Parts: sequence; C-alpha cells; structure tokens
Amino acid sequence: MSNPKKEVLLKIEGLKIQGFTDDVWIDIIKGVDLILHRGEVMGLIGESGAGKSTIGAAAMGYARDGTRIAEGSIEFDGMELTTATQVERRALRGSRIAYVAQSAAASFNPAHKIIDQHTEGPLQYRLRKRMEAQEDAMDLYQRLRLPNPREIGFRYPHQVSGGQLQRAMTAMAMSCRPDLIIFDEPTTALDVTTQIEVLAAIRDIVDQFNTAAIYITHDLAVVAQMADTIKVLLKGEEVEEAATEEMLEAPKKDYTKSLWAVRSFQRPQKARPADGSEAVISVKGVDAAYTGGAKVLDDVSFDVCAGMTVAVVGESGSGKSTTARVITGLLPPSKGEVLFKGEALPPSFRDRSRDQLRQAQMIYQMADTALNPKVRISDVIGRPAEFYSGLTGAALKQRVDELLDLIELEPSQYYNRYPPELSGGQKQRIGIARALAAEPAFIICDEVTSALDQLVAEGILKLLDRLQRDLDLAYMFITHDLATVRSIADEVVVMKNGQVVEQGPKDEMFRPPHHPYTDLLLSSVPEMDPNWLTTLLEERGVDNIGEAARTGQRAP
Amino acid sequence: MLTFVIVYYGVLIAASCAAAYFKQRQAFQLLFSLLLVSMVVGIVGGAAGLRFIAIAACLLAAAAGISYAFREFLVQIAKPSLARELRTAPLTAAFGMFIIFVYAVAAIFAPWIAPFGQAEVIDSAFAPADDKMLLGADQLGRDMFSRLIYAARNTVGLALSATILAFLMGAGAGLWAAVRGGWFDTAFGRVVDILMSIPSLIFALLILSIFGTNLTIIVVVVAIMYAPRVFRLTRAVAGNVVVMDYIEAARLRGEGDWFLIRREILPNTTAPLIAEFGLEFCFVFLLMAGLSFLGLGIQPPTADWGSMVRENATLISFGEITPLIPAAAIALLTVAVNFVVDWMLFRSSGLKER
Repeated sequence: MSNPKKEVLLKIEGLKIQGFTDDVWIDIIKGVDLILHRGEVMGLIGESGAGKSTIGAAAMGYARDGTRIAEGSIEFDGMELTTATQVERRALRGSRIAYVAQSAAASFNPAHKIIDQHTEGPLQYRLRKRMEAQEDAMDLYQRLRLPNPREIGFRYPHQVSGGQLQRAMTAMAMSCRPDLIIFDEPTTALDVTTQIEVLAAIRDIVDQFNTAAIYITHDLAVVAQMADTIKVLLKGEEVEEAATEEMLEAPKKDYTKSLWAVRSFQRPQKARPADGSEAVISVKGVDAAYTGGAKVLDDVSFDVCAGMTVAVVGESGSGKSTTARVITGLLPPSKGEVLFKGEALPPSFRDRSRDQLRQAQMIYQMADTALNPKVRISDVIGRPAEFYSGLTGAALKQRVDELLDLIELEPSQYYNRYPPELSGGQKQRIGIARALAAEPAFIICDEVTSALDQLVAEGILKLLDRLQRDLDLAYMFITHDLATVRSIADEVVVMKNGQVVEQGPKDEMFRPPHHPYTDLLLSSVPEMDPNWLTTLLEERGVDNIGEAARTGQRAP
Repeated sequence: MLTFVIVYYGVLIAASCAAAYFKQRQAFQLLFSLLLVSMVVGIVGGAAGLRFIAIAACLLAAAAGISYAFREFLVQIAKPSLARELRTAPLTAAFGMFIIFVYAVAAIFAPWIAPFGQAEVIDSAFAPADDKMLLGADQLGRDMFSRLIYAARNTVGLALSATILAFLMGAGAGLWAAVRGGWFDTAFGRVVDILMSIPSLIFALLILSIFGTNLTIIVVVVAIMYAPRVFRLTRAVAGNVVVMDYIEAARLRGEGDWFLIRREILPNTTAPLIAEFGLEFCFVFLLMAGLSFLGLGIQPPTADWGSMVRENATLISFGEITPLIPAAAIALLTVAVNFVVDWMLFRSSGLKER
C-alpha cells in the first residue's frame, strides 16, 4: 500500500455489450479491456456512438434498457459484477461507485431540495445521521467552491445556475466517499467560463479524496486537463490507450491523429471591401426586451458585409440568439432598426415581403428540432424552392438534386428519406440545404456545430466555407466555441449581458490588449496542454475562480 | 351427466400434464388454473356450474383463436410497413378489430343480411324465437334480429358522424388556436371553458326538447358537447409541436396558418388524435344510446339499440334475456373499440415492453 496508485480497482476484460435493434442483438461494445488503479483518472474519448457512456454504465454493472452485457468480466475491487446479484450490485452504486451525469438540471429531482437529495445516499446506507450528512454536504460544497456553502443546499435545483448545479452533483457523488466516480460529459452543456470552475472543482476533489474516476468526454482539451491516462474509442472498439502526455505528444494511430488535427482547419481572413459598399445586414442601435421582461439587448450595432463571416460570441444569456431573433423579425426591437442593403426592414417578420424573408435564412443549432420528422427530405428542401421561386414538377426535382449535390449528399439516396433516418451531421447538412434553397444573401448560423462531434463539425465548417466562396454569402455565426471562431470568422463581435463589449477583425480580437471580458473568454478555452488548467488557475489565483472572477470583471 | 364430469376433468388433467411435460409454461398455468377453478365450481355448483365454466372457457378460447387468425389474416393482406406494426398488436386488439369488422359488415350490408325490414310487422307481439325469427319478435311483432342488424347501421352511423363532426370542429379549432396563439387562443379557450361548464346531458335534453329530435340536430348537439374535449387535447398536443424550430423556420419562410397546420403540425399529432377518436367514439356512442333510451334519440320506427332496450324492457320481468341483447351489442362494440384504442395509446405513448 506504499503506492496506492498501483492497486487495481476496476478491471474490465473482453467486455461485449449488445443492443437490441430490429429483432436482432448487435454488438455495441466489441471486446474492450480496461484497468483502472485506485486514485487514477482515466479519460474515455471518442465521437458519439463510440460506446463511451455504455462502458461508463457497465463499470457500475449496469446495462441500459435494450442492451445487455453479453460477454467479458467486470471486476470491481475483487468483486465480479457480471455474475453478482441485482442486490449486490445495487449496494455498490452510490456508496462505492458514483455517477455524475451530463445534464445536472435533468438529473436532479426538481421537487426536492438539493441537500435532501445529497443526503439520500448516506442515509440509505446508514453511513451518517441526517445532521452529520448535512454538515458533510456543506463541507463538500465549500471544497467545491460553491457560493454560500451553508445555505445553497437548501435551495431547489432550479434556483441555482447550471455550473453550480453540476458542482452540487459532483458533491452528491462524493457524499458516500466512493472509490470510483464516473463523469459522463459533465461540462459539455456548459459555457467555457463556467466549464473552468467545474473542471477545477472536480479535479481538486478527486485529488483530495484519492478517488478513481472515469472521465467521459468528446473534448480532447478537457480530457487533457483531467486524466492521467486516455483511452480512445471508435465504434465500440479501443483504438489506443496511453498516459496523457504521451498520447498528446505522440499519438500512434491514424484515427487519434485525425482527432488531434481537427481544430487545425483555418481559412484566410477576409477584409471588408475597400470601396465602402453597403453592408448586407446592419444592425443599428437595437434595444429589445421580451414581453414584460427586462431589457435583453442594449444598443447593439454591427455590420455584416457580403461574402464575410461575422462571429457573435459570448456565454449563454449574453443576447446572441436574441440578436438573431431581432434580425429575422421574430422579436421586434423596442428601439433601433435592422437594415438590409441599406434599406430598413419592417420590425416584424409578418410585415416583411416574401423577397425580404427570402434574403435572410437561418440554420439552427439542433437539427433534430429544426427538421420536421414527418416530412420527406425532398419536401424539406423542395418547399422553399417551390414557395419562393414557384418551381414545380421536374424543375423542382432538379433543383432539389442540385441542392443535395451542393451539400455533398447523394440525391438518389436521400430524396425519399425522413429526417430521423439520418445522422446528426447529415441532418445539419439538410438544414443548410433548406436555407440555400431560398437563394439568400445572408444566413444566420445559430451554434450549428455545437451539437456535433468534432470531425463532423469540421466537415460542416468546411462546407459552409466552400458555399460562402461559391455563392458569395454573408454569415452571422453565433457560437460560444472560440475554436470555431478562430477557424471560420472574418470579424468578431463579443457580447455580454446584451451589450457589444468589443468588435473588430479577427486578428485584432485574438491579439492583446483585450477588453477584460474578451480576455476571460479567450483564456477560458481549454487548450491541449495538460498543464493549461493548472497554469491558468495560478494566474487567476485559485480563490478568485468562479463567481468572484466573473462579478469582479463585470464591465462598469 | 356423470360421463361429462369425468370426461371434462380427464381432458383437463391430461392437457395440463401434457403442457407441463412439453415445458409450455403459459399453457400449463392457464390449463391448471382452469382445472382448480373447475374443481371449486364443481363442488359448489355441481354439473351445471361445471358446464357453465366449460362453455365460458370454450368461448374464450374461440375468441382468442379467431383473434389470432384474424391478426394473421390482416398481417398477410397489409402493406409491409403496416404489417410490422400489426404483428406487435396484442390479441385483445386483434379481437377488437375483428368485432369492429363484424359490426362494419353488419352495418354496411344490413338490407342483405336482415331477413325482414326494420319496420315490418311479422308476427304477434313478443312472439318466441323460431326458425323464421332467430330472436323472436319485439313488442309490436317486428323481427328482433333484423332490427338488431339495422340498428348497427343507424346507431353506429349516427355516433360516427357525430364524432367526426366533433373532431372536425374541436381539432380544427385546437390546431388553429395553437398556431395563432395570443388573444385568439385565449378567446377560444374561454368559449370552451363555458361549454365544458354546462352539464352535457342536461344541455342535450334542453336543446333537443327545444328544437325537436331531428337527426341533424342530434348529431350537431352531440358534436358541440364533445368538441371542447377534442379542442383541449389537440391544442395541448399541437402546443408541443408549434414551439419546434421547424415551425419557426416555416413561419419565417412566410407560410400561412393553413400550410403550418396541414403540412407541419398535423403529421406530428395524428397518433394521439386517432387514439382520442376511438375513445370519444365510445362516449358519443354511449350517450346516443342513453338519449335513445330516454326517448330523445333516434325516433321509432327506426331501429336503434338504446330504444330497443327500453321498448322490450317489460320482458325482463318474464325472465327473458331479449332486451339484454341490444344492450350487449352496445357493450361489445364499446369494449372492442377500447381494446383497439388501448393498443394505439400504448404505441403513441412510446412505452415499450422490456
């Protein structure tokens, strides 16, 4: 026991998990081995469908509905989970193995106070009395740097922010001092600035209690901060495994290299046309508020020129999407106006002419909700062409084929299919085709890549870039991912609390000096350097992280 | 009698042993529990009780058999996509579909199936059943069986048209309210609240006694009474659809309300609406029968199950089951429709068996 790291805690051998689809069992996990030592953090990465979460659940001896553990052994601290009884396995969960889910908001029960849910585990296993458990919860909240640790537990889940809830959930996982915690994409749904707080908190607490962890994510930069070793998965099979530094410096397999290279896509920056021609869209001094609510946008102004991409960045709640709603006319501004090629657009989309509507199109973040599941692809894409250009019959079919070609999908294969039959990336391409079908001059891309895997997202960005060059489109690119900004933007608009904090060409924006908020945003983007988080925390001062950092830097 | 008892028990014991031997768990459990029940009933009720149990079991087995066969038949004649769905239908749903099919045949081909006209006086009042009249005569000497067949056409036809009208009004208004929103939605909602606050049966009695018992008026009144419930459901279901991004995209394209309803929303709301249609049909059907029983529904001499129960009610006191036959016809159809609706609700709810 001199070196606790050497003791094997979890040993998975030849694990095969099958899923039931179309009346047959097919392999989801095709024989994966995994060894985790006490106090070690292992990162599982891979794109969606790689089986990361399935392995995470299997480590608790659990197979989701419609799946089964077909072969292999899962040995946790000397106990074989595949042959253990339901009762034995259940006794492990919460007490010795804990789980932190991706969406804390969806995982907490909204009808109970946070601390009551926290103490459920210790009380259930009779580890502590209620009062002791509550004291311990407050202690954990303090260690996780939650504000008002003695009071925050007595709130309901909807009364705290997303990042705080995620930390509360980590505290809850710690409540029985488990030997192993499984983190299933705990920061994927968070902003970069919030992500840092959660990452730092998780890393600290895992260190303090010498807990082993499996950290599941698709974000390489995040896993580089958290994990001692990294295991790369692809379609239910292991690609390679190595210590973090080794893996980052010298990946062996081609697939791993391609993952590493994803963020390298970058196109040359374009400057505004020198002749001072009119911007395609210009937003002038716009104020907006939702009915009965406070002001959401405050004096927002920026221009988008033809053939250029303007990235609007900021954390959630900064008014990025509201700006898009004002431009499209879904939310008429209370002050200011939106000009299209120098001509003022009517504030509400209902008063705009068909041609004005045609000129500005939108691509949505969630392709799942942006495409009607009951409408054929040919109709999804064909309808705008039919509606605006009056195409029918053979001409319409030809136009749809053209559009499918344009987004690099084989027309004959996709013509008659329905959206649920497509993958996430394909759906997003159909969304793009629908926008293009209207032959617009300007497209709003609302977080189009944030729901996609990195490889797929890169494909979409490249496609958008090619279309921009071919069709001379102007993009307004809403995102919170600065890596995306770096690769595709020409100009950047930084928003915070409904105001434009800073704007200008991309080169200037990524070069100091910055506005303090821009600086905070930029420095919060995880980098591939495994020491990045440590260095950053030192720079900011550990106690200064979190709420303090943000309130301190709020613009006067 | 003794041979029947011996043969009955002998067959049951042999069958359950065979089932156990061939490891047919479900069949064994079924047979053996039937055997146990038979023993208790045999002791309490004697041979007559035993015979009742035997007949009931045979009927159930026959119903299960016909349901199974009917489902196989449907699977074979349906299109592949529909056939896959049908194969998952439980036996109860298949039984419901079979009963509905039989009723539909009776209603459509009534004039050819029924030996006499519905208003034709054949024999003396309450004449007993014979070769000519399968179920005897009613209180005016008309053929009970023929009237039963014709009533399928009248009662079901009327209930169906009232339900369809209720759906056209309720679903149409619900979809429109969901798409328009704002004051339009509020106004519709409050009107519906008012309609729902009026006790429906009293409202129907009131209207029918003011305007008379005209068929059109019955249909319209019943439809108005049931439309609010359809409105509420449709609005709730459509409300979940109109917030989707694809509706926003269609709106921004400049599409009109009609296009949104027809092409974007309706395809996503059909499953719960069809299930609700089945449920509402049962309620409407029962209400119609109730109105007829009270004398405010379909007027004589047109045959109708509800009024047939009332007209022949006196026979009950003579120990005849004749008035219960139209009542059973009502009950059977209601149960059948509910079996089918249960299955549809199960499918649309997205719950899957483990």
